Amino acid sequence: MLATQAANPAPEEAKTAPARAATEGRLHALHYKLVLTLYRVFAVAMLYLVLAGILAYAVVTGFYAVSTSWAAPVILSASDEKALAFREQLVTSQQTIEDLKVDTQKLQSGVDEMKKHRAALLALEKPLQTAIAREQTHNNATGPQLRALDDEKKTDNVKTKAVLEQLHEVEARINKDLVAGLITKGDAATQLSALNQARSAYTDSKIAEVLLTDNVLDKTTIGTSSLDVLEKQAELRSEAAQLDVAINVSEKQMQEEARQIVRLRQAITTAKQSPYYLSASGGETLYFAFVPYDNRASATVGAPIYDCYLNMIACHKVGEVKQIFTGEQDATHPIFKTQIRGFLIQMNLDANESAKSKTVFLGRKPLLF
Amino acid sequence: MAPVLLWLIMVVCLLISVVKYVMGIILKISFPTAKIRKDYSYQPTVSVLMPCFNEGKTVYETIESISKSDYPAEKFEVIAQDDCSVDDSYEWMLKAQRDFTNIRIRTGRNAQNSGKARTVCNAMEQSTAEVIISIDSDCIFHEDAIRELTACFSEPKVGSVGGRVGVRNPNDSLITAIQAVIYYSAFQLYKIPENWTRSVCCISGCLFAIRRELLQEIEPAIRARNWFGVPVNQGEDRFLTHQTLLRGYGTYINTDALCWTTVPNTLAVLFKQQLRWRRSIVRDFFYTLKALPEHVWKLHPNAVWTLVLTPLGALVGLLVVITTLSSDPLAWTGPVPMLAALGIGAVLTWVIKRYSAREAVAHPLAFGAYVAWSMVSSLLLTPLALLTMDSADWGTRTKQASEAGVDVGNASS
Repeated sequence: MLATQAANPAPEEAKTAPARAATEGRLHALHYKLVLTLYRVFAVAMLYLVLAGILAYAVVTGFYAVSTSWAAPVILSASDEKALAFREQLVTSQQTIEDLKVDTQKLQSGVDEMKKHRAALLALEKPLQTAIAREQTHNNATGPQLRALDDEKKTDNVKTKAVLEQLHEVEARINKDLVAGLITKGDAATQLSALNQARSAYTDSKIAEVLLTDNVLDKTTIGTSSLDVLEKQAELRSEAAQLDVAINVSEKQMQEEARQIVRLRQAITTAKQSPYYLSASGGETLYFAFVPYDNRASATVGAPIYDCYLNMIACHKVGEVKQIFTGEQDATHPIFKTQIRGFLIQMNLDANESAKSKTVFLGRKPLLF
Repeated sequence: MAPVLLWLIMVVCLLISVVKYVMGIILKISFPTAKIRKDYSYQPTVSVLMPCFNEGKTVYETIESISKSDYPAEKFEVIAQDDCSVDDSYEWMLKAQRDFTNIRIRTGRNAQNSGKARTVCNAMEQSTAEVIISIDSDCIFHEDAIRELTACFSEPKVGSVGGRVGVRNPNDSLITAIQAVIYYSAFQLYKIPENWTRSVCCISGCLFAIRRELLQEIEPAIRARNWFGVPVNQGEDRFLTHQTLLRGYGTYINTDALCWTTVPNTLAVLFKQQLRWRRSIVRDFFYTLKALPEHVWKLHPNAVWTLVLTPLGALVGLLVVITTLSSDPLAWTGPVPMLAALGIGAVLTWVIKRYSAREAVAHPLAFGAYVAWSMVSSLLLTPLALLTMDSADWGTRTKQASEAGVDVGNASS
């Protein structure tokens, strides 16, 4: 179709077509030139921007890799999970102290009671010792005497026995005389009765000897009654010793509880200095910042704090370090986004906005301007 | 929402890459039918077009390797076209013409420096063959390369066929070692799923065979390529492959057709080469966005995925790297990316050593450095490519030309 038109152009069209085509071509070229120029301007600008971006990124990254004075402001909220956990721990610690106090009082009462009981037991010990000593002294004195008497009694009994042996003949003669009618039955009975009395007296004398021997044994050796007394004494001492142990255990427990109370009180005292406690309990707005351990040297109380534009330039003083907290904190590195360890500081800030900065610098301006 | 979408796209791109590699392994092992049916009895006439610019003696070596091809000499010729080299490339062409008389060699020079794509077109004007093979003038070709390429054209719907490019200098430096692994895995795994559906989206310009009538059909488009009036001379291989697909033909890479290229061994040269390639990818992406609505139903879904997601991956990769650097700058220094790269590199190095000893990498852990390179390339190449779309140079060899000032008269013989 285009070929046909080209072969048979209308006279006017034939005149205007090349001109129109040339115009269109020029417009097309102009359009391309314009777009290309804009593209190149844009491209150059973007390339410089990219270059600047890369350089800036490299500089910032390098700067934070070597800087030892930056700190990252932290805004603590009372409803913060850590703060809530902290307060919960604080309440628990205080409750523990109260429980320990009550327990200590109970223990003290028990110890007092046991001490009284022990004193009463120990008071019995002396009279018992005196009684035992007195008894032993007495026994020591009467024991030998009784032994001598016992020996005499035995000798007497032997003699009596020999005499009684002869009574058999006397009894036989009495019976013979009675049978022979030499004596009456009454006389015989009287004589025989006298004989029996003699025998009975001998028996009584033997009994007395045995009792005396037994008595001597009691006086000269340790008998069961003495053992009973000694047992009582041992029981007394054992009970006192048990009380000693119990008192000792209770006193140690009280000492331990006292130490625990001291520790808890110290912990609470320290905790009350924690930024979380301060932020949760204080009415005024407090400012804190995280300092990595690598930057510890820059964090001193009273050190000036600088806030900068573009993370590191055109810095100006915004306050000073008020307090340094010892507790370890974990935080995300503001540039490298890695987990780092450090601690918190409290800042006195003149410019509240600095609390929202990504980083501030401690001690000095990072780049001297 | 935006970061989520960004990550989602990146994950999809990454997933598809991983899936493609895995599919490549599966297809390679379990589906030999995924390969094209080659007919070695089909022996069309062939013109090997060799555009050249400042290659020096390498041109001679390239022509020498082609002269040893196992293909009937009367059925193929070499057309070497010089794009106004400022060195002695043209003299080496002429010397090759004199020395390798067993094959027909034609040489020619452009009237003015025109870029690779137009140099190919100029060379084609001298050709009458049925199949055109465009090659890079710094490659060495296997003697079976031509035979392997032409055998694939027995499938009438195949329009373009590529070969596998191996690395000649894998152990020159850490950089060449990385490239050797990437080249091998790209051709032996990544391209295989595309091969399966005959929808390879970029056949390497090192060894690119195309039906003559198809190239002639595309030639006007090649010559007309411009970026708001600035001629586009780069990425002709990607453009030709894309055009082949849009015209309803299949594209295929025959990994048995081998050639060897010398890859950049310094960071500066590599960067320049990769920038040129990235520019081609970005340019092709814009072209895809423009052409896809019209052609989407003609293309195989696999081709659509690849055409869209490959460049999208590069663009989103840039955003992901920026996001990573700003949110977690040291993430890429972690052990996972490095260990992954080392692991993959070690396995691929072993595979290369086992199956292609010629391009074996000496140090199996060299691929670990790819992590650093991937960061640099993702961060810099895409924005630079986007901002230098009006570039029309020959890439790595431009400096010599610009220093000498090119204005050479037309010559052919």
